[in-house]
Amino acid sequence: MKKKVLALLLASAMVASLAACGGTSTDNGGSTDSGNSGSTTTTSTDGGNTTTAEPYVLDELYVIVDGTLTATVDSGQDAFIEQWEQLVGEKIGHPIKLTIEQPEHSGYQATVSQILSTRQQSDADYPDAMIMSASMFREYQTTGILWDMANAYDNADFHANVRFQNNEFNKDSQGRMYGIAPTRGNGCVTYVKQTWLDAVGMKLDDIKTFDDYYKMLKAFAENDPDGNGKGGTYGAIAAGYANIGEAPYINYLPEFWQGAYPAILQRDGVWVDGFQEQATIDALTRLHQAYVDGVIDPDTEEAGTKQAREKFWNADQSVASGTFAYWAGTWYNNITNNMIKQGIMAEGDQQKDLVMLPPIKEIQDTWGGLIDREAPVWVITDDGDGDDSREQAIFDALIETMLDGDKVETLWVYGAEDVHWSVKAEDFETVTGDDKKVTEYHYEDGQFHLKQSPNDPNSIWSKNHLDPILVIVPLTNGYDDPNPVVQAGNDFFNKYAIAAPVSPASETLTEIQSELTDAKKVAINAAVTGEKTPEEAVAEYVAAWGDTVQGILDELNAQ
Amino acid sequence: MAKNKFETTSNGVPIRHKPLGMRIWNNRGFYLMFLPVFIFVLIINYWPMLGIRYSFYDYTVKKMEWVGLKHFQDMFSGKNSSDFWRSFFNTLELSIMKLLITTAASVIVSVFINEMGNLLAKKTLQTVIYLPHFLSWAVTAAIFTLFLSASSTGFVNETLKSWGVLERSIDFLHLPTWWRPIFYLINIWKETGWGTVIFLATLSGINPELYEAADIDGATRMQKIWYVTVPALANTVIIVLILNLAKVLNMFESVFVLYNTRVYDVSDVISTYIYRKTFMAAVPNYGFTTAVGLFKSIVGAFLVLVCNWASKKIRGRGII
Repeated sequence: MKKKVLALLLASAMVASLAACGGTSTDNGGSTDSGNSGSTTTTSTDGGNTTTAEPYVLDELYVIVDGTLTATVDSGQDAFIEQWEQLVGEKIGHPIKLTIEQPEHSGYQATVSQILSTRQQSDADYPDAMIMSASMFREYQTTGILWDMANAYDNADFHANVRFQNNEFNKDSQGRMYGIAPTRGNGCVTYVKQTWLDAVGMKLDDIKTFDDYYKMLKAFAENDPDGNGKGGTYGAIAAGYANIGEAPYINYLPEFWQGAYPAILQRDGVWVDGFQEQATIDALTRLHQAYVDGVIDPDTEEAGTKQAREKFWNADQSVASGTFAYWAGTWYNNITNNMIKQGIMAEGDQQKDLVMLPPIKEIQDTWGGLIDREAPVWVITDDGDGDDSREQAIFDALIETMLDGDKVETLWVYGAEDVHWSVKAEDFETVTGDDKKVTEYHYEDGQFHLKQSPNDPNSIWSKNHLDPILVIVPLTNGYDDPNPVVQAGNDFFNKYAIAAPVSPASETLTEIQSELTDAKKVAINAAVTGEKTPEEAVAEYVAAWGDTVQGILDELNAQ
Repeated sequence: MAKNKFETTSNGVPIRHKPLGMRIWNNRGFYLMFLPVFIFVLIINYWPMLGIRYSFYDYTVKKMEWVGLKHFQDMFSGKNSSDFWRSFFNTLELSIMKLLITTAASVIVSVFINEMGNLLAKKTLQTVIYLPHFLSWAVTAAIFTLFLSASSTGFVNETLKSWGVLERSIDFLHLPTWWRPIFYLINIWKETGWGTVIFLATLSGINPELYEAADIDGATRMQKIWYVTVPALANTVIIVLILNLAKVLNMFESVFVLYNTRVYDVSDVISTYIYRKTFMAAVPNYGFTTAVGLFKSIVGAFLVLVCNWASKKIRGRGII
């Protein structure tokens, strides 16, 4: 017995001593930098004495990017980095080593959070800059780890050439700007299979209201649009009944959500919780009816974007859906290309066989058009030393060059020269489809063109990180991807685009965002599937979160 | 009775130990061999334990400050208590039920296999039921999600509808009433075969004379199973249950790949709760999740001690 007691005491003592001796404090807002020295001369005031800092020379740049940088390790990232280092080195006047860390796209937010919590400013792999989605950015905006780049943005060389002013929305009420969006946001368009419309005897031009839209979905679900003599088809599929994890939340099923917005937003200058509004209850009622009528694929509840996309263009159309709301422009091209690959669309028929539905009356009457989301932003980490020279150097090397309208921007838009695109004469071919259809490409010397994808020689590279149509500073070198499908998709969206509601930035909201998202997801899924009525689901949400959300609204409205 | 100050030999001669330092020096070769292992254990097993101190801190991307027992109060009776207790009791219920059901299934299948006369059929069956164990939980979840989908791609629903058994599809994995039965079924499918290994080994060790004696006594096949096979397995069953009881809180992957927001009430376990609070939040408080993890470890350690005690009682030796 004595031995046991002694062992227990020793174990407790060991744990206690480990806990005590490991207690080195972490100062996440530390004053050390990443060991670089500066390109920008600044002055700082210290106790009344003005000192001039040494010029800061940025010799290393560590960035974290998500999957929107399509020049991945498997797709020519080495060449991208090499050319970036060469071009930026020439522009800045000294070499800079670029390191890119690219976590898996779907786990990006969690990985960034871990990185920022576990690495120190003094670590070589502490990020200098990162990409953040708009909602992620709003959550980090209040943490104090991001640099206020308002001055840098206003004084940037590219500022005069900016064609979209969406970055004005990134400034908070005090004019601080913690992230810059190099592109406009883009939004979703509802794509409809023309062959299915023909099969059920309907015309796209007749779809003007929600009732028309719903009749179309019902016809797709019930009138055997694939002609196999059996059921199994659906009107619509989406990645969730609401894309509740990312603003603008309603873009995957806009016809159902109409004027509802299941998140905090500003209406007439006042912050309100859209989830508690009658419009949300009405939207859930419509979705529930669609679920009961079997016009919406039940896989929608848990489907990610990949699964939803692949079901839409599935070679087996007997389990597919007739409509799919997804991103405009480049994705219009991607979807049609995949439909061709799956053998359900003929080459050259893209715009004829997959048509885009203009916003229905209820969307026009509420939002006024299709929602152009808040764009993802680049942020720069603040080392907290009160001296902006490091951060300004990062801005100059990364953001200024990214939007130079010339060679570096071309890298971010199209990728590396002679890897992703070229102006040299060349001939190549791609093979697609079950029938091994060969497409030949021939380019003259000096003709800008995209090459075969480095990781798939049977597809043509489309773009790198920035969409040429959406980038806020247009390319001045005339390099243009003349893809008519992309162009048609962008033109259609631009015709109807309206700015998305601005996401709120609140410290309390940041703390509870994930739980709030879960609670909304539970309420939406329960209401749509009939587990609860929409009224009950929203009432339960209000009972659990109403007071907390009201506190956030008060906090926001007081700003 | 108090022990003598010195240990003695059988004939009462006191044993005088050499000083510790001298004993270490005399056995320095062994200590030298032990040193790498000792360092390895310190670094790999004990150094990470320093992280438990975070349970007494608010630890986020922007700050790390001492908060004492705040997270434990929050966990047991604060704003996070309902989710925490829900996950705690779900863990116990799911784990224990899973343990009992899969053990029972393994015993039944083992007895059945043991009774099979055709060696080829026996070996084939054993191989077939072992296979699911080697599938990862991610693959298993993908198979069953597709299999049980309420969409037109769901085999089970479409089959039942075509037979007229169902009018509408049942969303098996999204309904709280169905989720647990399906979870247990999937576990039976995946783990029963593997679970039979130890029972079949026990069965092969049963003295054949017992069956011969039963035959002479005129016992039927069922009576032989009931009066010979099952009693012979009982001790092994108890040991398997005890050994597994110590691990009941270690439940993550099987739940994580199968659960969803609509069934949190019946499926959320401590590990998935910690995962969500740590990795799904934009700016998580690692202090809170470390506190939950620490509590889980303490309960786990307690269970190990209980199992150790039970093991000593039943089979005469402990598990640690």
